[in-house]
Amino acid sequence: MKKSDFLLQLDNIIEAPPGSLKGTEKLTDISAWDSLAVLGFIAMVDEKFKVQLAGKDIAACETVADIAGLLGDRITP
Amino acid sequence: MTHPYSLAGTRILVTGASSGLGRATAVLASRMGAQLIIIGRDAARLEQTLAQLEGDGHRAERRDLRDTAGIPEWLARLASDIGPLNGLAHAAGIQIVRPLRSLDESVLNETMAVNLNTALALTKGFRQKSVCAQGGSIVLFSSVMGLTGQPGQAAYSASKGALIGMCRSLALELAREKIRINCVAPGLVNSGMGERLRETLPAAQFEAAAAMHPLGQGTAEDVAGAVVFLLSGASAWITGTTLAVDGGYTAH
Repeated sequence: MKKSDFLLQLDNIIEAPPGSLKGTEKLTDISAWDSLAVLGFIAMVDEKFKVQLAGKDIAACETVADIAGLLGDRITP
Repeated sequence: MTHPYSLAGTRILVTGASSGLGRATAVLASRMGAQLIIIGRDAARLEQTLAQLEGDGHRAERRDLRDTAGIPEWLARLASDIGPLNGLAHAAGIQIVRPLRSLDESVLNETMAVNLNTALALTKGFRQKSVCAQGGSIVLFSSVMGLTGQPGQAAYSASKGALIGMCRSLALELAREKIRINCVAPGLVNSGMGERLRETLPAAQFEAAAAMHPLGQGTAEDVAGAVVFLLSGASAWITGTTLAVDGGYTAH
């Protein structure tokens, strides 16, 4: 998945207008990034990438870029 | 005198027996003397369960229960092969965690199909005279999520709550056939689905759920003990009820 599409998926999860996230944001600065958003993110990754992420790995992320990094080369520039 | 909790001389079918609560139930039931028919989708793990059973004459069958239409005929064939069944423990199920914003109808339908529709089809199959000749006991695996709620669990809660409602009505229908039907409502245990939840839920949410159990997190064996009780003659006057096996979770 292209990074731009991945960011649109995250926009959708936090219910922000499409194009809101640029990829450099700190997660603590995104007020809508709460436990339900994390659950939604886990569900999206499971559905779109067939990957089951561990909650502790997501908790270790500090930025949107870190979140994308969990999916490695499944996210393309 | 026969021990009231003994399952000696009985034939019990356990679904979801390839791991977690289903496996623990099968193992304990075999220790209590039952002959087991264990059902699961993963052949290798089913064989592992089979190897843990005590006694002889057990049988493992790989089957996807989502083919509900074929269940009554399959059970009739099974009983014709090995003899009538005395008990059914339906542990197979799925838990898909989705917050409302990500919960679409397909997830709800899949959850209901696996957790509820299979229970109805198995009960329908079990009550056939050729399958359950002399009455019997059915135990459906509900959950504390069928009695309470947690964020992200709407589909799972709906399916497990529906099992409890269905169980009550079926108990009234099946009593005349000397078939008892009850639910267990397990809390969080440290195997199977519980372990998968630990891996996938945000740590804070998992810890909060675990902390809701005054007796601490349980084990699959804790739940199996309650299931064997409901399968045994010791519970002969119990039907249509739901036994919470939850370390006090629902006492809050």
